[in-house]
Amino acid sequence: MSTAVLQRVSLGRVLRAEIADELRGIVREPTALFFSILMPVGFFALFVSIFGDLTDGTMPAGTRMVATFGTFGVLAATMLNPGIGIAQDREIGWLRAKRVSAVPVLITLLCKVVAALCYAIAMLVAMAVTAGLTGSLEATAGQLLRLAVVLLLGAAPFALLGIAIGLQAGSNATAAILNAVLMPSAVVSGLWMPLEILPDFFGHIAQFLPTYHLSQLAIAQLDGGPVLGHALVMLGSTAALAAAAALSYRHARP
Amino acid sequence: MAIIEVAGLVKHYGDHTVLNGVSFTVDQGEIFGILGPNGAGKTTTVECIEGLRVPDAGSVRVCDIDPRRDDDELRQLLGAQLQTSALPDKLTVREALELYSSFYRDPADWRELIEVLRLTDKADAQFRRLSGGQQQRLSIALALLGAPRVAVLDELTTGLDPQARRDTWDLIERIRDRGVTILMVTHFMAEAERLCDRLAVIDSGRVVALDTPAGLVARVDGEQRIRFRPSAPLDPAALTVAPEVTTAMSAGEQLVVTGVGNLLLAVTTVLSQHHVVAEDLRVEQTSLDDAFVALTGRSIES
Repeated sequence: MSTAVLQRVSLGRVLRAEIADELRGIVREPTALFFSILMPVGFFALFVSIFGDLTDGTMPAGTRMVATFGTFGVLAATMLNPGIGIAQDREIGWLRAKRVSAVPVLITLLCKVVAALCYAIAMLVAMAVTAGLTGSLEATAGQLLRLAVVLLLGAAPFALLGIAIGLQAGSNATAAILNAVLMPSAVVSGLWMPLEILPDFFGHIAQFLPTYHLSQLAIAQLDGGPVLGHALVMLGSTAALAAAAALSYRHARP
Repeated sequence: MAIIEVAGLVKHYGDHTVLNGVSFTVDQGEIFGILGPNGAGKTTTVECIEGLRVPDAGSVRVCDIDPRRDDDELRQLLGAQLQTSALPDKLTVREALELYSSFYRDPADWRELIEVLRLTDKADAQFRRLSGGQQQRLSIALALLGAPRVAVLDELTTGLDPQARRDTWDLIERIRDRGVTILMVTHFMAEAERLCDRLAVIDSGRVVALDTPAGLVARVDGEQRIRFRPSAPLDPAALTVAPEVTTAMSAGEQLVVTGVGNLLLAVTTVLSQHHVVAEDLRVEQTSLDDAFVALTGRSIES
């Protein structure tokens, strides 16, 4: 068997083992699971049961909430889990031990994000089922699938932000910083409550936040709204945060 | 044949020079020790060899690979146990070994490895449930899982109790017997003396001596010292007639004799001529500790 073939086999095995390890690690930390998975689904269930039947003329609020709460949930999972996980691994020296093993550290970081995406998918399914059970879901399977794909792809810049912070700060500081970014962004972007019922300046600030643009892209999968402007903002954010993550990686303590 | 070549390594952290021209080679199949006090530059040296740090000047080659140029290939040939690293608390021994097995093109059989390392009955134990010695043995297992040609062990036995330390020494010798070249960092003299074929003594970022443990001891004054309590009064001057004796003096009830060569035979011969028996006799020879002090001007603990 040639070296190239051996290396290909090895990469597939590494990815499977690393992702399985990350998934196991998330399940074994119930606190992290609570904040990143159960809390968004719980909030969603509460709000959709109260406001799910209201409508703005295009779709029931419960359907729109799958997009907005889904945005929040996917971001919480893909930003907090990899970011805090990386910081914890750095603190105990586990990431350093991986660096002197044969696994490329970038693979380890990527697998942390992929594992978080698995939980994000489970959360989106739970939200759609909850909306369906309350009778406020009016979307085709195709629309929901597109929405999920958009949110999972759109999570990239936020995962990169989590990695950038996790490579520099301790685990507690990483959790604090990322929550300090996520929570206000979620409120101001209208992920929990529609911007229409919030003060006008929230809407003005939201235009500058990738969280808002991702939620608008998600909603567009349900109501057919415009996507180009939002997609460009997301691409720009991804490029900027990829550069920040690369810089953070280069300056991280070996 | 050299498997590790280090030439003229220089590393600065800000204004502080940590390595100032460190050079040595490690031959295939030997246990090579880097000995020095805390802050001497030992860990920085091995981090350059492991490819974790980039030296400001100088070169490193491991198995003819430049760690800066072919990091991926180096990782397949070099196994490293780090001075300060732990596994996630809830990761089990089996999970850690299976995970690491996936990293290597041709990994060793981890079941066989943990049998050698006496961890088989701990395969399903979480990392946090292992004793310090078991955690160290697991870190060795992980370093060896890729069936490396070179294993780098950094302060492996620090924090272990004396029995666990001796067990670990036996283990390192068995690893060498499997054909693995071992580069180890230590500040324990007994460990260096027991295990290492050759030693580089590093102090303040420089290699101040490079030799076998016996060679290092021989470099310093080979004077021996004998203490005993004579069974009958004896003038110390009586002992100086032997050519091996350098000095002889009273110290309370004891006589202290220094000298070279076969000093013990010379002293006991003189004593028997005077019908005196040496009681509570002790022979003190130059140790690696003494050699280190002579080479660096300070104790390793300073």
